[in-house]
Amino acid sequence: MSNENKSLNFNFNTQLDGFTLSVKQTIPTQGITGVFGHSGSGKSTLLRLISGLESSATGQLYLHNNVLFDSTKRINVKPEKRRIGLVFQEDRLFPHLNVKQNLAYAHQRCPDKKLNIDDIISLTQLTPLLDKDVTLLSGGEKQRVAIARAVLSEPELLLLDEPLSALDTKNKAIMISLLLNVQQSLNIPMLYVSHSLAELQQISDNLLVMKQGNIEHFGNIHQVIHTLNNSLETLQQTSLSLTIKEHLAKYGLTALQLTQNISLYMPLLKSFKNVPLKSQLAINSTEKSLLVRCYIAANDISISRNKAINSSIVNHFQAKIIKLQAQGSTVLVTLTIVESEYLKQVFYSSISLWSAERLCLKIGDLVYIQFKASAVHGLANLAEE
Amino acid sequence: MIETSLFENSDLIALFTTLKMAFVTTVILMVIGTPLAWYLAKMNSRYKIIIEAVVALPIVLPPTVLGFYLLIAFSPQHLPGQLWQTLTGQQLAFSFSAIVIGSVFYSLPFVVQPLQKAFEQLGNNVLEAGAMLGASSIDRFFTLVLPITKASFITAATLGFAHTVGEFGIVLMIGGNISGETKVLSIALFEHVEAFNYAKAHLLAGSLLIGSFIVLGLIYLLNYTKPKINQRPNNQRSITVKGSR
Repeated sequence: MSNENKSLNFNFNTQLDGFTLSVKQTIPTQGITGVFGHSGSGKSTLLRLISGLESSATGQLYLHNNVLFDSTKRINVKPEKRRIGLVFQEDRLFPHLNVKQNLAYAHQRCPDKKLNIDDIISLTQLTPLLDKDVTLLSGGEKQRVAIARAVLSEPELLLLDEPLSALDTKNKAIMISLLLNVQQSLNIPMLYVSHSLAELQQISDNLLVMKQGNIEHFGNIHQVIHTLNNSLETLQQTSLSLTIKEHLAKYGLTALQLTQNISLYMPLLKSFKNVPLKSQLAINSTEKSLLVRCYIAANDISISRNKAINSSIVNHFQAKIIKLQAQGSTVLVTLTIVESEYLKQVFYSSISLWSAERLCLKIGDLVYIQFKASAVHGLANLAEE
Repeated sequence: MIETSLFENSDLIALFTTLKMAFVTTVILMVIGTPLAWYLAKMNSRYKIIIEAVVALPIVLPPTVLGFYLLIAFSPQHLPGQLWQTLTGQQLAFSFSAIVIGSVFYSLPFVVQPLQKAFEQLGNNVLEAGAMLGASSIDRFFTLVLPITKASFITAATLGFAHTVGEFGIVLMIGGNISGETKVLSIALFEHVEAFNYAKAHLLAGSLLIGSFIVLGLIYLLNYTKPKINQRPNNQRSITVKGSR
């Protein structure tokens, strides 16, 4: 099957308890697609419609050009026949089975059984827990079992409905690393629902934004996050995927390659316990190179007319103002790096209206942007969200 | 002192009839009661209240009232009795089949209610998880519902069986007192009391009391699960995050 056919197409219209959902989208089933929205935006309803657990809608659903639901033709493939996996917000493990039996339950019912159960146990680091009673596991351990179990049913699409929302922030970072590792090792397309943009920024390749039962945006993760900067509903930020240039362990810094001549410094990237650094990073599918996902809050980037010399701030480079948006008493400044015309890397800086007026900022001006290394947030900083 | 020779042959036949009636009734109750309880647990219709009330009627209704209406229905003058006679060639009233049917009505709430409660508590979460792993509805029932609600099935079957063993009013109304056919222990006991044969009455009553206690004790033992103690170590998996500079 060509990659063109590898997509999820849906068109749903439904009214549930006074809530109206109307969504139509084609999503390439590659990598991880994030679904972002606030509570009540319809994210979970969308997943339930795709999984078949909810069928009170009109419309169509196609996965890889196979029809799974078509209300006009009265086609509604049962959830157990759709080859779609779902990891729920709560673990939903079977309480009468231990960890190994929970995993075997999925594996036994998989028609293909291409995956080796021991490989998945190893990949999800469940070996020490196999004989344990699932009711005695911690939240993070339960979700690891739930993810391994869903993977063992070998779905053509794996849906994840806020699977980490019940976990503490440290476990969240570990689980994101594990999910990235699972996705990269097994190449299972995933649809990942969350109301945490920081979580999605780390894990998703594409982002679908829902609001009040409708789809507002869909596209590349960084582009959509930058689009959301205008909404004032999320943290205004610059979202980046960059390659590692070098680790400066002595100084506790990692240098990322922003352009050929500009390095961007962030807190030193380290391996988590049992999770190699490689597993924490997204792999650029075209170049097969390791990319570090990071973001800088617009509040953390300051603007100067002159180059800061002898400053403790490690990240400072020249940029050109391409947009100025007044937002009450603040101004959102959009800038591009001057050095590379091809890169088109944009940065967002939120400064006070007073500073903008004092510096007499205008579109086209060349200025210097600066931010501390600690302002560059990666997966390890998810704990601070 | 009561001697074992006091056990009359007719008492042993009554014991056998009672156990046979209770066993057949329990099997029928489990087969009928399980889907009925499932339907009541899952349905949202307003008719649910009516069905629930009908199922629960035997709890509040005097057994003789139920027995009286069933006796009329089972008579050859009325449709159910006529249908039975056409199909089997035998009269329904005052037969073993009649006391089984009567027992099924009488003990239905004792099977349906614990199962309905269990199915309601089970909810849809586990079943949806099973469906997403490729398990069909029949598969989900036998591999998830049945083992998770096992204790409620045992309770339902025990209550159904025990309640049937203790029946008196309905059996007397629709079964009469035919040895080997409809004469059950409770009626045999009543006969002994009527005849002032208190020794035999004591033997039967005592045997029923001790037998019931042993059966219930065994069931509770079977259903007993050790309380789970969370033995998770304190040194939970953690990551080291370098503080910001």
